[in-house]
Amino acid sequence: MGMDEQEALIGRVTRCSTRGFVGAVHIPKPEVPTFGDFCLAEAQEGRSRVIGVIYDISIQDDELARQMAIAKDPTREQLADTQRARLVPVEYAALAVGYHKDGAYHYTLPPQPPLTMATIHAMSAQEVRDFTERLDFLPLILGAPQIPVDDLLAAALRTAAATRPEEVRRPYLVRAGRACARLLGRDLPRLENLIHSLQP
Amino acid sequence: MSETPELDDVFGTKPQEAPLGLVVEGSLSSGLTVKLDPRFAMEKLAVGRYVVIRGQQTGRRFFGIITDVALGATNPDLARRPPQPEDRFAAEVYRGGVAYGIMHVSPMLMLDEEEEEPRPVKTIPSHFSPVHEATPADVERVFGAEDATHFHVGAPLDMEHVQVNLDLARFVERSSGIFGKSGTGKSFITRTLLAGIIKAGLASALIFDMHNDYGWTVRDEGGREYKGLRQLFPDGRVSVVTLDEETSRARNSKYDRVLRIGYQEIEPEDVEMLAALLGLSDVQTGALYYLRRQLGASWIAKLLELEEAEEELRELVESGRIVAGTLGAIQRKFEFFRRMGFLVPGKGDDVVDDIFSRLNMGVSVVLEFGTYGNTLAAYILVANYLTRRIHQRYVNQKNRAAGGKADEPKPLVIVIEEAHKFLDPQVAGHTIFGAIARELRKYNVTLLIVDQRPSGIDDEVMSQIGTRVTCLLDNEADIRAVFSGVSGAATLREVLARLDTRQQALILGHAVPMPVVVRTRDYDKEFYAALGVVSEEDLGRKAQEGIDTLY
Ligand SMILES: Nc1ncnc2c1ncn2[C@@H]1O[C@H](COP(=O)(O)OP(=O)(O)OP(=O)(O)O)[C@@H](O)[C@H]1O
Ligand SMILES: [Mg+2]
Repeated sequence: MGMDEQEALIGRVTRCSTRGFVGAVHIPKPEVPTFGDFCLAEAQEGRSRVIGVIYDISIQDDELARQMAIAKDPTREQLADTQRARLVPVEYAALAVGYHKDGAYHYTLPPQPPLTMATIHAMSAQEVRDFTERLDFLPLILGAPQIPVDDLLAAALRTAAATRPEEVRRPYLVRAGRACARLLGRDLPRLENLIHSLQP
Repeated sequence: MSETPELDDVFGTKPQEAPLGLVVEGSLSSGLTVKLDPRFAMEKLAVGRYVVIRGQQTGRRFFGIITDVALGATNPDLARRPPQPEDRFAAEVYRGGVAYGIMHVSPMLMLDEEEEEPRPVKTIPSHFSPVHEATPADVERVFGAEDATHFHVGAPLDMEHVQVNLDLARFVERSSGIFGKSGTGKSFITRTLLAGIIKAGLASALIFDMHNDYGWTVRDEGGREYKGLRQLFPDGRVSVVTLDEETSRARNSKYDRVLRIGYQEIEPEDVEMLAALLGLSDVQTGALYYLRRQLGASWIAKLLELEEAEEELRELVESGRIVAGTLGAIQRKFEFFRRMGFLVPGKGDDVVDDIFSRLNMGVSVVLEFGTYGNTLAAYILVANYLTRRIHQRYVNQKNRAAGGKADEPKPLVIVIEEAHKFLDPQVAGHTIFGAIARELRKYNVTLLIVDQRPSGIDDEVMSQIGTRVTCLLDNEADIRAVFSGVSGAATLREVLARLDTRQQALILGHAVPMPVVVRTRDYDKEFYAALGVVSEEDLGRKAQEGIDTLY
C-alpha cells in the first residue's frame, strides 16, 4: 500500500455477499467514491482484500432533508448543515471483480466476502494499474445482473487508463476494447456503443 | 472461434519473438488456416513465404508455405456494419478483436526434434500451434548447402542472402519443365540450369536453340550482353552446331560445325510431325509412306523434281495407287523444303554420328537455328529428325551396355522450346518426344521442355515432368496444367499467379525438398565467376603476369 491509510479510507462495509459489498461513508470527498472507481475491502481477517468496482452511489432521504428541500429561501449555512452535518450516510455499492491475496491479484469472485464494518480503501493509482494490467475482470462486470453493465465497464476502463502515463493510454484502451470485442462480438450495436464511450 | 486470451499478456512484451498467429483449423489436404496475431501487420505478409509451425504435442516442427491471405470476422455482420471511416479508434479495436487476418499455409515438410533431415508431412500440427516466420537458418536447413550436385538457382522471397540449391542429379533424372509467359525469364533460368548441369558434369545437353539464346552472346531488349554457354565453357564442354552459317557469322558467334541434312536421309516419320504446319491432310500424310517405298531414298528430290522422275510419278498415278490431286498437293507443300537452306540434295554428312559422339563424350551441343528459328516447321523438323536418330543411338548403346558390350551412354538432356508443338495431345502419343517423356530415363535420355503454354501439353506427358520451374502464368488453364499430377499443389495457385513478371519462379517437384519461390540468380559477371569462367581480358592479364614473372 503506497498510500496513506487515513487518506485512502473511504468508509466501512455495511452489507455484503461474495458478489459485492455496500459501503457507507459519512461525508464524501469530491473525488471518492465515484462511479467506476476501484476499492478494496478487507476480508478473511485481513488475509485477503476484495476488489470492488463502485457502481451505485446513493444517499437516503430523511424527514429533515425532505423539509429542507421545500423550504423557502434556506440559508447557506442551513443547506451546508443538511448536506454535511447530518448522520445520514452516503452509500455506495461495489461489484466484486477479484481479490488480492498472498501478494497476487486474482480475477475471480473472492472465497469469502468482507465482514460488516470491514474497512474500505480506495485503490491507489499504482494498485489500479497493476490490477487492470490483465483484463480478466471484464467478464465479471459483464456478467453482473441488473446493473448498468456497459456504462460501468466503460467507466472502469477509463479509470484504469487514467492511472497510466499519457503515451500508453490509447494502446491500453485499444487492448481493452479488443477484449470487450471478444466478449461482445455477437452484439455489434452494443459493442459499438461501448467502444464509442471508450474513445480516448 | 477459439482464442487464447492470455496471448497478449504472454507475448506482449516481446513482439519480435511473438508468433505470426495460431493454427485454428485445416487439414493435410487443404492446408492450414492461421489466425493472425493482431499485433502483426498482415500487410507485410506475402504469399510464397515460408513459415515454421511449432507442434504443441511433440517437438516436431513443420515447414509450410503461405498460400493465401484473407480477412476474417467473428461476426459476419461486421462486413455490413463496419466502424465509421473517421473512427480510427474503433477500427483499431475491431482489427484484431472481432476482425482479424487469416493466412492459409500449406504444410510441406516436418522435422522431428532430434533429426537433421526434414521429411514430407504426413500429419499436421495440433490446434493453436504457433506459426513463426521462417528464419534464414530454417530455410538453409531445408535446402542444404551448395555442393558438386546442388546448384544455387536463386534466393527465397525476402531472403536475399539465403541460397536455394537445386538437386541437379534429381533434376536430370526425370524430364523437367520451365514454364512462364513470354519475357518472364524462362530462357535465362534454362541457361542458368544448363550451366549448372554442364559444370557438374551430370549430363550432356542437346539444346534446340530456337532464338539463339544459349550458344553465343545473348542480347536483351536493353542491348545488354550476356555470355552464352559456349563462352561460359571455353574448354570444349559445349559445341555450337549452326543451321544458318550466315547469321552465326554475322552475329560473330563461334560455331563448331554446320548442320546439313541430306534429302535422302529424311523419312516420312520426320515429315509426319509437320503435317499440321504444312497443311498435309491425313490422306496425304498416309501417301508419304507409299511414296517413300515406291520412289526410294531419293523420294524428296524426285518429288521436288530435282531428280528426273516424271515417268515414275506418272506410272504411280496411272497404277491408281495415288490420285493426281494428292500427289500434286504433296509436291506443292514440299516446296517448303526448298526454302530450308540446311537441306541439301544427296546423302548429307555424318552430322548425326558426330553430334551423338560429342554428347556421349559429355560435350553439350547447342543447335543454333539462326533465322530458321522463325520458321516453326524448320524447328520441328530438325528437332524431330535429330532426336529420333540420337535417341535410337542411345537405345542401341544402352542395350549393348546391358549386354556388357559397351559403356553406359552419358545421360542426355534434350532441351526444346515451344514444347507444346511437340507434345500436344494429338501428337504426343506417337512422337519421339512423347516417348522419351513416358519412358522416363530408361535409356538415359530426358527432356527439358521450355514452354509458355503448358496447357497445350498432353496430360500424360505433363504428369511425367519431375521438376517444374514456373515463372508467372496468368492463364487459368496453364496454371492448372502446371499443377496437374502434383498432389496438394493446387493450394499454390495464388502463389503462382502472384509472381513478379520477371526473374521470379516457383520450383516444385523432384529436385527440391519442398516447393519454393525464388528470385532467380542474376545472370551476370558474378555468376560467370562462380562458374569458374575467366573473362578474356583476365586471361590476357594472367598471361601478361606470367610473362612478367618468367623474365
Ligand atoms: N536471371 C536473370 N538475370 C538477368 N536478367 C534476367 C534474368 N532473368 C530474366 N532477365 C531479364 O528478363 C528478360 C527476359 O528473359 P527471357 O528472355 O529469359 O524470357 P523468356 O521467358 O525466355 O521470354 P520468351 O518467352 O519471349 O522467350 C531478359 O532479356 C533479361 O533482361
Ligand atoms: Mg525465351
